[in-house]
Amino acid sequence: MKTSKRGSWILPAMAFVTIILAPSRLPAQTTTAKSSSGNGASGAVQWSVQVDKVNSGDVDIEPAFQIAIYENLVDELGKTKRFQQVFRDSDRTTNAVPNLLILKTTVQKYTAGSETRRAVTTVSGATKLTVRSQLCTREGQVILERTVDGNVRFLGSNLRATHNLARNVAKTIKQSALPDPSLSGAAQGAQ
Amino acid sequence: MNRRVVPAEHTPHGYILMPHRIWAYLILLIGCAVGALAQNAGEPTNVTTPFSAHVTHLMGFEGAPNNAGGTLSIEGDALQFQKSGKPAVEVSIASVQHVFLGEQSKQVGGLPMTLSKTATPFGGGRVVSLFAHKKYDTLTLEYVDANGGVHGAIFQLNKGQEVPLRNELVAKGVSVSPSEDAATKQSTAEVPNENK
Repeated sequence: MKTSKRGSWILPAMAFVTIILAPSRLPAQTTTAKSSSGNGASGAVQWSVQVDKVNSGDVDIEPAFQIAIYENLVDELGKTKRFQQVFRDSDRTTNAVPNLLILKTTVQKYTAGSETRRAVTTVSGATKLTVRSQLCTREGQVILERTVDGNVRFLGSNLRATHNLARNVAKTIKQSALPDPSLSGAAQGAQ
Repeated sequence: MNRRVVPAEHTPHGYILMPHRIWAYLILLIGCAVGALAQNAGEPTNVTTPFSAHVTHLMGFEGAPNNAGGTLSIEGDALQFQKSGKPAVEVSIASVQHVFLGEQSKQVGGLPMTLSKTATPFGGGRVVSLFAHKKYDTLTLEYVDANGGVHGAIFQLNKGQEVPLRNELVAKGVSVSPSEDAATKQSTAEVPNENK
């Protein structure tokens, strides 16, 4: 009898703990890059990167989202320490930079979510972003191309999706093998 | 039997000796005059006072912390954001290339509210979420720094605050692209495709 009584309150207690703990893990539930390549090893000479403005492509996306993706990309790429310098679009100082890659981002899919719908229903109202990221040389040679997602499914504002997306792009680039800047002619092999 | 009907307020000395009525007229007159003067005095200040509003800086304004509340104002030819107790950061209005307006709905209360809603039994938190949201306007600026590098800044404003700011920026010569007018009308703002 005692064990059955004990068991009767353990189950609800476990359920309660699960409910309490579940949301704290939810923000981490952003999808990562769809495609991946081998883990990269940075060479002695580092690339620098210039982040271009986000191209909306054929997708109707709010300007705030485009700007937020761009700003978050600049921040997150700086945090990776993968690049010597991170430049902004149209920065004139890049003319003097020898090993420069250009990050081009094109929005492929955008689903406008609703924070209220997420809070009320849990299962609907997610904000979803999918972009194609290309790392190109100055000559236009693509050395890395990935499709990356960034979503907000449960907690956080809609703009949080842009932060998650930029973090995933930075993570993808960090894990990818980039060609040695001194041997940039062999860059095709990285694709 | 032969009595005259006399009004209660009537005195044999006439209306001159009814001070309460005169006082009432006088007070009414003074009140109207003060109101009219205040209105006249207020109009010119609206024209000359530069824009200033309490906003939340979401991201991108160089030198300002993200998600920080502060005052966004136009000081001369600069757009200035000042967090209370901190030095102001500013960009030249001439460097602002585009202004975009948008709208978003956010849950209020932040993390404490979210936790308390989660802990509310029988799904009560969901019901609270239905009402615990507020609509905000967003102001998105695109500007360039001294090296020509493009920056973007996003501010969250209370409803109705963004129009005077936008008008003032436009008056200062900030270029307006056609899509921004559409963006003011609909919450899901559109942006022109900028193919690079």
